[in-house]
Amino acid sequence: MPRFDELLAQTGKQGMTRRILLRRVTAGVAGLAAFGLLAACRAEQAPEEAAQPTPTPAAPSPTPTRPPAVVVTPQIVTPTPVQAEGKYGGEMIVTGHHEIASLHPDDAGPAVHWVMVTQIHNGMVEVDENYQLELVLAESYDVAADGLSYTFKLRDGVKFHDGELFNAEDVKHTFEWYMNPDNAAVNAALFRNIDRVETPDELTVVIRMKQPDAPFVVRAATTFILPEHHHGKVGKEGYASNPIGTGPFKLKEWRAAEYTTVEAFDEHFRGRPYLDRFTEKIVPEASVRAIMLETGEADSAVWQLLAEDNLRFAEDPNYTVFRTSSLAVNHFPINNEHPVLGDKAVRQAMMHAIDRQKVIDDIFRGTAVIATANLSPALEAWYEPNVKQYPYDPELAKQILEQAGWVDSDGDGIREKDGVKLSFTCTTITGDQARRPEAEVVQQYLKAVGIDMQLAEAPTATITEKLRAGEMDASLFNWTYGGAGGDPDASATLRSTAVNNFSHYKNPRMDELLDNGIKEVDPQKRKEIYSEVQKLVAEDVPFLYMMFWDWFNIFTKRIKGLPETALAGTQLYRKAYQWWIEE
Amino acid sequence: MLHYIVRRLLQGIVVIFLVTLATFSLMHLAPGDPVQVLVGEAEVSQEVLDAITRKWGLDRPWYEQYLVWLWNMVRGDFGQSMVRTGVPVSQMLWEAAPVTLRLNLYAFAVALLVAVPVGVVAAVRRYSLFDYGSMVGATLGVALPNFWIGLMLIILFALTLRWLPSGGSGSWQHYILPVAVLATEQMAVLARLTRGSTIEVMNQDFVTTARAKGLPEGTVIFRHVVRNALLPVITIIGYRLSFILSGTIVVETVFAWPGLGRLFVLSIDRLDYQVVQAIAFLLTVLVVIGNLLTDLVYAYVDPRIRIR
Repeated sequence: MPRFDELLAQTGKQGMTRRILLRRVTAGVAGLAAFGLLAACRAEQAPEEAAQPTPTPAAPSPTPTRPPAVVVTPQIVTPTPVQAEGKYGGEMIVTGHHEIASLHPDDAGPAVHWVMVTQIHNGMVEVDENYQLELVLAESYDVAADGLSYTFKLRDGVKFHDGELFNAEDVKHTFEWYMNPDNAAVNAALFRNIDRVETPDELTVVIRMKQPDAPFVVRAATTFILPEHHHGKVGKEGYASNPIGTGPFKLKEWRAAEYTTVEAFDEHFRGRPYLDRFTEKIVPEASVRAIMLETGEADSAVWQLLAEDNLRFAEDPNYTVFRTSSLAVNHFPINNEHPVLGDKAVRQAMMHAIDRQKVIDDIFRGTAVIATANLSPALEAWYEPNVKQYPYDPELAKQILEQAGWVDSDGDGIREKDGVKLSFTCTTITGDQARRPEAEVVQQYLKAVGIDMQLAEAPTATITEKLRAGEMDASLFNWTYGGAGGDPDASATLRSTAVNNFSHYKNPRMDELLDNGIKEVDPQKRKEIYSEVQKLVAEDVPFLYMMFWDWFNIFTKRIKGLPETALAGTQLYRKAYQWWIEE
Repeated sequence: MLHYIVRRLLQGIVVIFLVTLATFSLMHLAPGDPVQVLVGEAEVSQEVLDAITRKWGLDRPWYEQYLVWLWNMVRGDFGQSMVRTGVPVSQMLWEAAPVTLRLNLYAFAVALLVAVPVGVVAAVRRYSLFDYGSMVGATLGVALPNFWIGLMLIILFALTLRWLPSGGSGSWQHYILPVAVLATEQMAVLARLTRGSTIEVMNQDFVTTARAKGLPEGTVIFRHVVRNALLPVITIIGYRLSFILSGTIVVETVFAWPGLGRLFVLSIDRLDYQVVQAIAFLLTVLVVIGNLLTDLVYAYVDPRIRIR
């Protein structure tokens, strides 16, 4: 499993992003439709449609609430067969920063795990590097008009690495394994709205829902399928070191802290991959990962390098660099029940007091974009730009504080109100070299308007525990507040009762919006709901949202067959089966 | 002598027990929830968190968990890693410990082979150019951080010259840089120590006597001075055992070696109780045995200790 600070730290590529379904600009409203909620829309492969995307602006198009079925089709792309011009052979080496603790899909949250797990497994549908939904083990799927059942038609003749044929029982086993509380699956919550899984025949799966669940297709139907005949016997513990999937590569050697190697699976249903082997080496030190790219000891770095190395490689013609935006917001969670921080005026004033662009330029070398609310602008289908803005304006910040009754009456440079000092403590992650300087700069900005922010440090597990218990004023890390799997649902973080509502933010309207958002089957209405969510976040400022970090994925030029574009960096590695080596 | 060994062994067992108890209670009483580390940023409900907590028995009081651990440990079962799903802790140690031990052993051998002669020569030729040169080198070796030396060596030998791999293990070439970095610091410590102790011995009466009775200088140095000067060095060797991890954590990280040091830090960080506990246990055993051996060797080398 991941080092926790990295989980907190990490931006775009974390486990979440991999299932991102972001509407491509060209896909128009289809992106919304693909969430599988359009009544009776039959999602089928329509390659000729996909080949000619219509240039639709990113803003929601004025499509009727129930667009014709044809709109949905460009969203679904067929599994791309292995291209003809590639060369067979060779080994591609990528680097990760911490051990690959498990190869079970339930543990594949961290990017360094996922990059290997995705080579070994397939889902019925998967989300690609451009947030397109791709039919993989499913040939098509139907959604019932009421959103209460999904029917998946499965591909015939797909083999697992041990030669067994894949069928509907494997899907049923996988879903039921996650649904069974005895298995204590990490991702169990994604399956909570499923009532039962039926298998009318070998190649058909019908999933019955307890209630409509808008994020279902991209969040749960993308789950990697486990072989019933093997996983059913060995369980999670046995499977973690001995996975058997349908993916393009099968496990050769797993040495958790050192390296993991997979080798080509000759009978993969999309054809044998070009590469003979794909290896991830564990190299904890970021600068050494960069050196390995330079010496040719590695072909790509799964995990981030230092900002200066990223920018250097981006300029270098010997490397192919994908620069994408993360979904996790870099933010200061602040306890909304704190006597000082509970005052909305204080929170709004703090937003005006900080020059966020300067923080991005000075601390992060410009490799981030300013946040406008909880959702990343990378989520084009859901991002709402028309929200309350907080430009850098220290005078306005002071004015807001004065009006709210916060004045410096004793002349010590810190404002008070009713004898309470405008003071709080921000606890950053111990040894966090990226964000500690950020906190120090923000401390100065706040001081300039009469707010005293003390700094402390603690390990990550302590921070989350104390934040949840309401025993900590504030902290600073990156976290996803909606957008996981490309779905805007933020119930896990913004709902008043949510486990990860670190800021103890409580607004009945927000709860109502989030509940409606999950049940709403109409994408256009959902879009309106999540626009309001973002507006409410911008108005209430439940936490100080700073920025979304850029994510860099660097490849040496000898790796050919890479996608032209990518919106989700880590998703790129899904496509390793199409890559080849050309010296 | 036997009585002495038995007594020291019994003391050792008490020490080991106390250390495991301290480690266990510290890990469990410190704030932070290992279940949170397990789920990471996955969207979880309270039910999921509770299910995982129950699965690992973390809902029981810590002393109860300790007794379970102790009982299993006595029977030779170190339990399973929470994080590295389902892998027995003993297997993780079995993989990581030899890597660290080998690295340390080679580094220590290199350090000894270089540092002792250098220290002796520097002492004998005191205030010579060699003395100044080697002691400046030794000071630098102690002062420069491992981390920095490691990166500089990688840049020079892996990136610029392309002679050696930048990291990882496997062939003998992989050993050169990490062993060099690890040896540098130990070399520096040992060289200074040898020099100091040699000078001290050289000023003693029996050396003057040896010279007075006309022994050649070489015999005086090797038979009388060096043998006695090495006593504190032996102490340091035993003492260094307890640094076996702290010294290698940095080297293992920079050179991507899958050793015990890295595993220990990682496991503390992600609150993988069973693994931390097992490594702490293993380390304590090592230090206890190391100290015991040092004392025995000391007794052998220095008759005065044996007689007492």
